[in-house]
Amino acid sequence: MIHFRHVSYTYPNAAHPALSNISLDLPQGELILVVGPSGAGKSTLLRCINGLAPHFSGGSLAGSIRVGNLDPVQAAPQVMSHHVGFVFQDPEAQFVMDRVEDEIAFALENAAIPPEEMRVRVEETLDLLDLTPLRDRALSTLSGGERQRVAIAAVLALRPEVLVLDEPTSQLDPKSAEDVLSALVRLNTDLGLTILVAEHRLERVLPYADKILYLPADGSSPLLDEPRAVLAQIDLAPPLVRLSKALGWHPLPLTIKEGLRHSRRRAGNGRAAQPRQESVAESAVGARTPFLAARDVAAAYGGTEVLHGLSLDVYPGEIVALMGRNGSGKTTLLKCMVGLVRPVRGDIRMDGRSIAGRDVADICRQVAYLPQDPNSLLFAETVAEELAITLHNHGLMARRSGHALPDDARELLRTLGMAQHAESYPRDLSAGERQRAALAAIMVTRPRALLLDEPTRGLDYTAKRQLADLLKGWRAAGMAIVVVTHDVELAAEIADRVALMSQGEVIAQGEPAQVLGASPLFAPQVAKLFPDSGWLTVEDALQTA
Amino acid sequence: MNPATQPAVRGDASIHAGAWAMWLAAVVAALAVSRNPIYLALILAWLAATWIAAKYVAGALDAERAVPLSPLHFGLFVVSVSALFNGLMVHVGDAVLVRLPDALPLIGGPVTLEALLYGALNGLALTGLYAAFILVNQALPVREMVRLAPRAYYSIAVVVSIAAAFVPTTLRQYRQIREAQAVRGRRVQGLRSWLPLLLPLLTGGLERALQLAEAMTARGFAGASTPTHDVWTQVSLIAGIALAAAGLLLRLVWGAGALGLATALIGAALVAGAVWAAGRRHPQTVYRPAPWRMREWAVAGGALLTAAFFVLPLPGLDRSSLFFYPYPSLTPPGFSLWIGMSTWGLLPPALAMVGPALR
Repeated sequence: MIHFRHVSYTYPNAAHPALSNISLDLPQGELILVVGPSGAGKSTLLRCINGLAPHFSGGSLAGSIRVGNLDPVQAAPQVMSHHVGFVFQDPEAQFVMDRVEDEIAFALENAAIPPEEMRVRVEETLDLLDLTPLRDRALSTLSGGERQRVAIAAVLALRPEVLVLDEPTSQLDPKSAEDVLSALVRLNTDLGLTILVAEHRLERVLPYADKILYLPADGSSPLLDEPRAVLAQIDLAPPLVRLSKALGWHPLPLTIKEGLRHSRRRAGNGRAAQPRQESVAESAVGARTPFLAARDVAAAYGGTEVLHGLSLDVYPGEIVALMGRNGSGKTTLLKCMVGLVRPVRGDIRMDGRSIAGRDVADICRQVAYLPQDPNSLLFAETVAEELAITLHNHGLMARRSGHALPDDARELLRTLGMAQHAESYPRDLSAGERQRAALAAIMVTRPRALLLDEPTRGLDYTAKRQLADLLKGWRAAGMAIVVVTHDVELAAEIADRVALMSQGEVIAQGEPAQVLGASPLFAPQVAKLFPDSGWLTVEDALQTA
Repeated sequence: MNPATQPAVRGDASIHAGAWAMWLAAVVAALAVSRNPIYLALILAWLAATWIAAKYVAGALDAERAVPLSPLHFGLFVVSVSALFNGLMVHVGDAVLVRLPDALPLIGGPVTLEALLYGALNGLALTGLYAAFILVNQALPVREMVRLAPRAYYSIAVVVSIAAAFVPTTLRQYRQIREAQAVRGRRVQGLRSWLPLLLPLLTGGLERALQLAEAMTARGFAGASTPTHDVWTQVSLIAGIALAAAGLLLRLVWGAGALGLATALIGAALVAGAVWAAGRRHPQTVYRPAPWRMREWAVAGGALLTAAFFVLPLPGLDRSSLFFYPYPSLTPPGFSLWIGMSTWGLLPPALAMVGPALR
């Protein structure tokens, strides 16, 4: 269906090719998962299929590509849009109109489809993606998952034979991501649409993928094979696969159901499960006073109360994971803790002193806050300058001292693995690196607490692991850390305590094994494989086993 | 109102974009022609009625398309600024309120009631224009607005509508960035500290624009790259505009009424022809075109009526009351019953939106 022959592609003004000498044959009617570390050229490869590269991005392309009996380089995106539908990462960034139906009809109107046929096609597409009840809604009132489904519908209306999606769920919460992925699976199984999807959340798509296309970072030739065959050869893998590989389970299970067959056998003749090892903070929590303490905090956002008398303590040397549905008030709580939102009732104490009436800048010297979109923090020419500006803001560094950073700031960059990027332009970095640049910019004042809002959104496995290691290091150094996250595996790996929030209240808090292990929704894969074991991560399971 | 419970049948209260455009043109014409406080008050009252009907009765305003300032706030601000400015700058009029020392440059001299009042009237007219534009902008879906443009300029209209949609997103992003900079210890201190806000806003905006451009390209939207205009349409377009301008000049400057009018009409016809011809070469179809019903006829007819009474020198109509001028001393404004009644022509949209709600 899609054939690449010796394709090399170089972006304009780039020193190295993004793709070099790729040859591939992608079969028709299959759901193909495209994986690989960031920067391996996944997006570029996908953009070659509908001619966006080189038509939109410029640059030079060598070799030949065929999609069906078309050459996307010759045909150009306008023709290709009828054969290849392309959906992007951020649903918001691809809408032209403001209503669901209008958005779906937009491409059809441009293609001069006769009105009668247009009616039929719009109706069909609405049905295919379960959007009929939403047809008259304004796009701005939809949830992230609904928006991404509208984006898919908008390209499907042109009846393409191939659907290409570039990390369609990386900006979504898990529930919305689930919505989108199950819609894709339905399109693939019911219509036989060829689907290529680049995706970091392997665990969700793996059960449905017919093939995995793995693009290595070093530019060597890609792997394309059955999921099991590819997973056996690569490092990027969800916990289930990592554990199975370590324990030598064969054939490699791709779903919890398959995994349970192996784990039950094991649990049957193994010794009694041991509880998880003591966390670092265990001793700390008892004696010391909390560094951050929210007492009976109520806060309103845009006229409606979103926190109703919430209390939460965060001790030095512990990581608290805040979890819960979208709109349960997690972000608002973080904002209250740094003074960006002022509580209407209750009090927040930092190191025993109330933060009421104190300046945000003043609070943030002690409490670093990483917002959801780290891009909004970054604006300087170089990463080093970002650090210098924060230091200068706090009066810790003279203006224009040639950005010769103090030694401890250099040390921070090294800790973050950003020393070699000190002179890079922050916005040119990968998502993971950009986040670490933002972390550097807020951590350079040596705060005693760190609040992170959805830090793993859009990160690949490698970047996630780096982040987890960083946070563990800071915890060992005695920092009080709060992570708002939907990422169950991250919470399982690093949290000492998990607080579940719903409708502006903390509904459960305690050790991860109790809070996460028991919940059907929040249980990590390992906990599902070994119920009642108290294990949450691959390491837990391997240590005991 | 929960949008999910809205009727699936499009637009109980909807009005065709073309009708809205004519209504808007009539408001603009009336507000531009007259400063007579009685007519101004009437027009503003009908605007307020339309606003209330759209927002509270029909629920037809898109609240998500946030505006920087509500018309009421805009009015308070503009009326006071305009009155103050005119009062301080124009030193004509008999009713002297205070006398500023002559030594002060520009503002020195008498401050008169007449100047203050005239400034306030200008402010009121501006407020009316603002309210009417905001109302139409919020009442019409983007798609309908794009349709208002001639087909040949469809792509330009899409681009403009996207630019308009960027305003609320940019405002949201501005708030995010301000917070992000605050947590880095930024305190507002002079112009320099604005740079950290503007740069990410600008780069963020550009990044979003590029993403959208890419998404639109992938969906087969071709911008200005397709050659839709050939030489002849280009020539007739330019010639038409030149003729129309020449005709207006002839009429206004040299007083050659009939000849000027004829030239201007020929020019206008050429422009219309060129746009029509260019549109024919631009293949595009319309999904569920908005219907033109009784209510659209009423809105359009009303708009024409109002505009005619305010703009055209109709035989037998005394237009002197339109030209209200308070200097040198205040006189009570004149009033023509016909012109006053013609402002009712602005009411059909309000009635059309209230009607379905009553049924």
